[in-house]
Amino acid sequence: MYGLVALGYHMTWVTSRTMNFSQGHAVMGGAVVAYALLVGLGWPFPLALLGTLAALAALGAVVERVAVRPFFLAGSPAWLLSTIALGIIAENAAMLTFGKDARAFPSPLTKPILVGGAGFYPQELLIPLVGLALMAAVQLLYHRSAWGKQLKAVAWNGEAAGLMGINVPRAVMAAYALSALLAGVAGVLLAPLLNVAPTMGTIIGLKAFAVAIIGGLASAPGIVVAGLGYGLVESFVAGYVSTGAREIVGFALVIAVLVLRPWGIGGARPSRRV
Amino acid sequence: MARAGWLALALAAAALPLATANTYYIYLGASVGLLVIVTAGLNVLAGFTGQTSLGHAGFYAIGAYAAALSVTRLRLPMAVAVLLAISVTALVGAAVAGAALRVSGPYLAMVTIAFGIIVEGVLVEWVSVTGGPGGIFNIPKLSLARHYWVIAAVAAIALWMTANLRRSAWGRAFVAVKDSEVAAESLGLSAYYVRIAAFTVSAAFAGAAGALFAFLNGYISPDSFTLQTSILFLLVLLFGGLGQIAGPVVGSLVLVLLPELLTRIADYRLILYGTLLLASIYWLPAGVVGALRRGRRPTAAAGANSAGPSSGPFSPGGPAPSATGAALTVERVSVAFGGVAALSEVSLEVPAHRITALIGPNGAGKTTLLNVLSGYYAPDAGHIALAGRPIAGRPPHLIARAGVARTFQTAQLFGELSAGGNVAVGVAGPRLGGLLGALCGTPAARRRERELAAGARDLLAGLDLTSVADAPADSLAAGLRRRVEIARALATRPRLLLLDEPAAGLTPAEIASLDGQLARLRDAGGPTLVLVEHHMDLVMALSDHITVLDGGRVIARGDPAAVQRDPAVIEAYLGAAPAAAS
Repeated sequence: MYGLVALGYHMTWVTSRTMNFSQGHAVMGGAVVAYALLVGLGWPFPLALLGTLAALAALGAVVERVAVRPFFLAGSPAWLLSTIALGIIAENAAMLTFGKDARAFPSPLTKPILVGGAGFYPQELLIPLVGLALMAAVQLLYHRSAWGKQLKAVAWNGEAAGLMGINVPRAVMAAYALSALLAGVAGVLLAPLLNVAPTMGTIIGLKAFAVAIIGGLASAPGIVVAGLGYGLVESFVAGYVSTGAREIVGFALVIAVLVLRPWGIGGARPSRRV
Repeated sequence: MARAGWLALALAAAALPLATANTYYIYLGASVGLLVIVTAGLNVLAGFTGQTSLGHAGFYAIGAYAAALSVTRLRLPMAVAVLLAISVTALVGAAVAGAALRVSGPYLAMVTIAFGIIVEGVLVEWVSVTGGPGGIFNIPKLSLARHYWVIAAVAAIALWMTANLRRSAWGRAFVAVKDSEVAAESLGLSAYYVRIAAFTVSAAFAGAAGALFAFLNGYISPDSFTLQTSILFLLVLLFGGLGQIAGPVVGSLVLVLLPELLTRIADYRLILYGTLLLASIYWLPAGVVGALRRGRRPTAAAGANSAGPSSGPFSPGGPAPSATGAALTVERVSVAFGGVAALSEVSLEVPAHRITALIGPNGAGKTTLLNVLSGYYAPDAGHIALAGRPIAGRPPHLIARAGVARTFQTAQLFGELSAGGNVAVGVAGPRLGGLLGALCGTPAARRRERELAAGARDLLAGLDLTSVADAPADSLAAGLRRRVEIARALATRPRLLLLDEPAAGLTPAEIASLDGQLARLRDAGGPTLVLVEHHMDLVMALSDHITVLDGGRVIARGDPAAVQRDPAVIEAYLGAAPAAAS
C-alpha cells in the first residue's frame, strides 16, 4: 500500500528530480472524490472509480503546472515548499467542502469471508493484489511503451531529450498525473478501511515518502521491497509493543537507513561531479 | 536609517505593556517574540546555510519540556531551567545534525520531518515523564508583562546575535558552503562540520523559545509541536525574508497578527497560509524585507574605489620556502570512470617554487588530474605525496589544509559575498574562531574580524582588485571573477596552487597582466604552481616545466622548448607528424 503511493514519488523523481511533497493529500483527494461521487451523487462504483481517477490525474497535472514547473526549469529547490503549500490548501479546501469529520466509506466488499474460523475482509486482500498489479503495470509501461521510453529519456538527461524533440514539460506533467493517479487508487482502496477525512493524507504521505527514501528514490524494485518491509515492521511493532510506538520505530528506521545508506537500499551510490 | 528603524522597533516593543492593559494584546506580542526567536535561529540554517529543516517544532518541544520538567520536577529556578533547555536542545541538535547532514535536499527534509514526528511520538507515549497527550500542567509563570519583557529582550538578543554571526568568519563560511560547497572545501572548510554548527545554533534558538513558551502558558502538550508548527516556522521565515536579519520580525508580526485581524474567516486559515507560502515563493524570493530593500537601494556600485593601500609589490606571504626539490610527487596514478580509464599510471614530479604546466588535447585527463590532486576524486591506484607526505584519497578539505589550493575551470565564487568577503573566507580557512564569540561579537572576535578584512584587502591589492573589494561577487565580469578566485586561493597561503585554465575567457590585456602576476608570484618565492591551460603563448612564456597528457597518459615532459619539438606532442595536437610520415 505504501509502496503504491511511494511509487508516485519515484515516478516524478526520476523524470524531473522533483516530487510532490503532498502526495498524501492526493491519497486523501482520491478518497474524498470517490466518496462524493459514490455516496454524494450516487454513481455506481465503476463509474465513480473512473471519475476519481480522471479527477486525480487532472489534479496531478495542476500540481505540476502550478507548483513544480516554474522551479523545475530554473533548477530551484523551491518545489519542495510549493507542493507543501498546495497540500495545505487542498486539505483546507477539503475541510470546507467535505467537513472536518471522518465518514465511513461503503464498499462492495465489506462482508467478511470466513476461512476455517478466521475472518478477514476481502478488502485487505485486495489492497496488496491491486497494488502489486499496478506496480507491474507501471513497470511494463515504463520499460516497454514508447511513451515510457520518452519518460526514461527525460530521466536520463532532460536537456538532451529536449533536443531530440521530446516535450520535456509534458513528459514531466504526465509523470505527475500518473503519480497522482496512483495515489488516488490508494485512496479509494484505503477509504473503506480507514475513514474518509481531510486530515487522513499527511501521515500516509509521510510514510510513503519514508518508504520511497528507504527503498531508494531512483529504484522501483527497492521501493516495492521497502513498502512490504515497512508494512511488516509496522504491524509487528504495533502488535508486540504498542500502536503509538509504531511511528517512532518507523521513522527511526528511516533515519538509520539514511545514515547508513543515504542512497537507499535499491539505489546506486551517486558519484559526485566537480 | 536601518539603525533608527531597529531603535524605533525596540522602543515600540518595550512600550507595549505600558500602552495597553489588555492581556490578550500582550500575549500576542509575546507570541510574536517567541516566533522571532525560533525563526532567527532557523534563518541561520535555512537563510545563511541553505539547508531546509521541517523538524524545528521538535527542538521547540524539547526546549519546552526540558524547561518545564526542570522546574516542576527538579525545582530549579526559571533562569537555570532556560539555560538547561538551551544546552539540551543544542546537544540534541548537534546529534541530529550529525546524522541528518550526511544527506541533502529531499532526503534532509525527510530526516528532519522524521525527527519531528519521533519527538511528537515520544511526548505522547512516554507518559511517566511527559504526561502523555495531556502534557504538563502547573508550570510556574511570571506576571504576563514581566514575561513579555523577558521574551522581547531574548528576541532582541537573538536578532543581534544573528547579525553578529552574519558578519563573522562563521557567517561567511555558512554562505560559502551554501553558494559553492566544492569551492568551500577547496579552502579547507568541511561543509559537513560547518552545517552541523549552523544546525546546532538554530536548534539552540528553538530550544530557548520553547522554554520561554512553557513559562508563558504554564501548560504544554504535544499538540503545540506538530509538523504544521514546523511548516509555520519555515513559512514565517520565507515570507519575511530568507537570509535577511529583519526577515523573522516582519514574518512573525504578519503571521501572528493577520489571522487575528481576520477571525471571521478562521476556517480559511490554512488556505491563507498555503497561499501566502506559494505567493512568497513565487514573487518574493527574498521575502518582504528583501523586496523592500531591493526597491530602496540601487545595486551596489561596483566602481566605488575604496582608498586602500596602493598596489605595492606583490607579497604572497606564503610559508617560508622549504628546501627546493619536488613539492609534489605523483606516482602511477590511475582513475577510471565506469570502465573508461581517465588517467592510467600517470607519474609526475612538480619541482618546488616553479611553474609546471599541464597541457594536452581536450579529454586528455588534465582536469581529472587536478581533481585527484585536490581530493575531489579518489585515485583507483597510485601514490600522491605533498612535500613527502601522502595525500591520495583524502577528502578535499584536508588536502586543502595540507597546503593545496586551487581554482576552477568556471570560477566558483560565493555569489552572495563581496569580492573581499570571498577572499576573507580563504584567509580564515578552517580557523573560524569560537562560535559563541562570533554570536556575541566579543572584542576578540571583532579584532580577529579586522585582521581577516585587512588580510583580504592586501591580497586584493596585490592583484589590482582593490576597486572591486566591496562589489558583490555575482556582479563581477568573467575576468574579474577569475582574478578574485586566484586571490582567494592565495589567501589560504598554499604550498601548491593548482590553476585550472586561468586564462580562459580573459581579454588579451588581462592575459598579459595574469602572465606578469604569476611570474611575480614565482619570483617572490610564492607557492609552487601547476597550471592547466590552452593558451600556448602563456604556457610557453611562463612555464619552467611542461607535462603533456593525452588519453590519460603522460606522452612528454620537459622544458617548453623541448616539448615544442617533441614529435609525440605534435602528433597528439595535429595528427600524424609530417616527419613521421617518411
